[in-house]
Amino acid sequence: MSRRVAGAAAAIALIAGLTACGGGSDAGDSPTLTFWMYQPRTPQAGQIYEDLRKGFEKANNVKVKYVQIAKDDYNTKLSSAIASGTAPDAGVLDQPLVSRFALDKTIVAVPDGTIDESAYYKGALDTNLSDGKLFGLPLDQTTVGLFYNKKLVPTPPKTWDELKATVNQIHQADSKIAGIVVPKGDGYGAWMWPGFVAGAGGALTDDANKKVLFDQQPAVDTLQMWVDLLPSSPRQITDSDNAFANGLAAMMISGPWDVATIKDQFPDLDFNVAPLPYKTEPAGNIGGENGVVFSTSKNAGLAWKFLQYITDGTNNAKFADAFGGYPTNIKAAEQTAATIEPQQAAFLEQLKVAHARPAVPQWIQVNDEIIAPALEKALSGKATAQEALTEAADKTRSLLGWNS
Amino acid sequence: MTNPVSADRPAATSDRPGRRPRPGFGRRDSIVGWLLIAPALVYFVAFLLYPAVAALYYSFTDWNLRSSPSWVGLANYTDLLFDDVKFPHFWKSVQVSLLYTVVAVPLTLVAALGQALLINAIRRGSNLFRLLLFLPVVTAEAAVGAIWRWLYDPQYGLINIILGWFGVPPQNWLNNPDLVIPALAFISAWQCGISMIIYLAGLKGIPLSLREAAIIDGAGPVQRFRKVVMPMLRPTTFYLLVTGVIAALQVFGLVYVIFSAANKSVTGGPEQAGLTYVLHLYLFAFRYDAMGAACAMSFILLVFIMIITALQFKFVKQEAA
Repeated sequence: MSRRVAGAAAAIALIAGLTACGGGSDAGDSPTLTFWMYQPRTPQAGQIYEDLRKGFEKANNVKVKYVQIAKDDYNTKLSSAIASGTAPDAGVLDQPLVSRFALDKTIVAVPDGTIDESAYYKGALDTNLSDGKLFGLPLDQTTVGLFYNKKLVPTPPKTWDELKATVNQIHQADSKIAGIVVPKGDGYGAWMWPGFVAGAGGALTDDANKKVLFDQQPAVDTLQMWVDLLPSSPRQITDSDNAFANGLAAMMISGPWDVATIKDQFPDLDFNVAPLPYKTEPAGNIGGENGVVFSTSKNAGLAWKFLQYITDGTNNAKFADAFGGYPTNIKAAEQTAATIEPQQAAFLEQLKVAHARPAVPQWIQVNDEIIAPALEKALSGKATAQEALTEAADKTRSLLGWNS
Repeated sequence: MTNPVSADRPAATSDRPGRRPRPGFGRRDSIVGWLLIAPALVYFVAFLLYPAVAALYYSFTDWNLRSSPSWVGLANYTDLLFDDVKFPHFWKSVQVSLLYTVVAVPLTLVAALGQALLINAIRRGSNLFRLLLFLPVVTAEAAVGAIWRWLYDPQYGLINIILGWFGVPPQNWLNNPDLVIPALAFISAWQCGISMIIYLAGLKGIPLSLREAAIIDGAGPVQRFRKVVMPMLRPTTFYLLVTGVIAALQVFGLVYVIFSAANKSVTGGPEQAGLTYVLHLYLFAFRYDAMGAACAMSFILLVFIMIITALQFKFVKQEAA
């Protein structure tokens, strides 16, 4: 195995080296900005990126070179490029990686006065924080909402109490149908959970004061609410492939990517999406990508200008759409809102109250290895919500070295 | 995986010229010789030797792939083995992989031998069946994962329907922590084509005279199988056992595909029941930014596999009798 992993690492390094060679050769009069991004999802998306690139080149008399890499290999190739000193000027970065890259100083902080912070959604902007400073600009954002089958759920529940009542009612009316696909205690479920915790007025951490908060009442109530949904939403039904799209589950929590899939593969399903039900205040989680500038860049000023350009009030709508998410710029989002399909509107609405993940470099590991198993422990009935979360919070404190 | 028979033979013949005086090779010949093996040598050094040595070095460092690695001595090894704050699921992943190996390897061997015996017994159409039974081996892993997710579906899955005929209530195979490993092992047994082919070669290698002698001595089919076929297949079984255990301890692709496809999550299934050793290693290498620790895991696995293999050579009968 060691050979295989090491072999893969060497192969990746080699490929990254080759790509880098390709980039170094063209030295023109005007400066060239290298920007790393994911491969376009569709030809149309690729065209949008091209148009934006040409617009920027013309206005600034510079060259922009895109390096487009398959999403699955992106982080590894980027790391190899950084390690070998061939990092691009700027690039796309998955939200939870920003604080990690900031920690080892591979990316630089946004220079003061670069942007008007009030032009962006707060949740999206917060995903760029590390130690209270911004290390990138949000390029696009996404969240999860409540998908509901209109035949089974005429009006979507707004609060937790309504959600529980609806779920019970549906399963009692037909025991073959589950009320809702309750998220799992895995990495994905653990990513969605904070959106519900925020809906009870809570948070997972207090980054500034280095405090873990998810053993407190809002988080415990949230997990308990998920547990309470299970009797009317048996796993035996909801674990079936596409349970919601097949009409076996009346509701599910998912993101905008499923809107297109369901419309395409299950055209007969009459569904809509509502914001997440909440306890005390509307809230949601957030995902998406940020644009960062690498510390080795010789064109940092130009790089920030480019990132501003693709996140401004006019261009961000196109860019975020091509990326498969929603605009992070408030003015751009208004454009999107005017043309959006009904099933997409709820996501955009909810993003106004979305909360960023904790800005902790080890967060992915905490999410996967500590929170996810704790959720599963409570959901499978092996511990109470309070027990599971107390244990998990203690483990997180030890891992992060946050004592208290 | 190479066929052991063909792999052994060249080694045996190359010993022979030693008895005669060596044909003289000039210096130019030796240069030509080096040039001829150069591509293989370059490949070996660049893609196998260097990365393996580098990985050993990195296993003594704290390295996130981006910044330069910092030397930490044995810390990765001791943390993996003893620090359940940093690595809460290390021992769980050991347990999962061991359980998988213990269930999957015997199941695969039995399935392979059974198929080989059947194919060996039929006169017509054995090529067709051999092809059909081999298909699962050459099917892309992503497709295998998707198909088995459907077969194991708790509502519509074929497996539950078939078990239902015998009165077994429907199971939630891939989401019940107790059933995950048996379900995965069953898929690996379904993919036993290579072992089946090797067993088939072994069966063909049993001299007909032995079988005839056994029949003359009045041995029935069961006795012939136990006293003639099984002992004669011992070298084959030993080879398949050793390579099977090594492969099972490294299982990764299947688990990754099965759990990431539908759950959008690679964290190893319900309650980490499918978090195999190499999946755990992969997560630390590429998701949790700890390549140093991941390299240490790979060397722990290497040593473990060497010990297990040595034990098998010592305690399992390997000669045909």
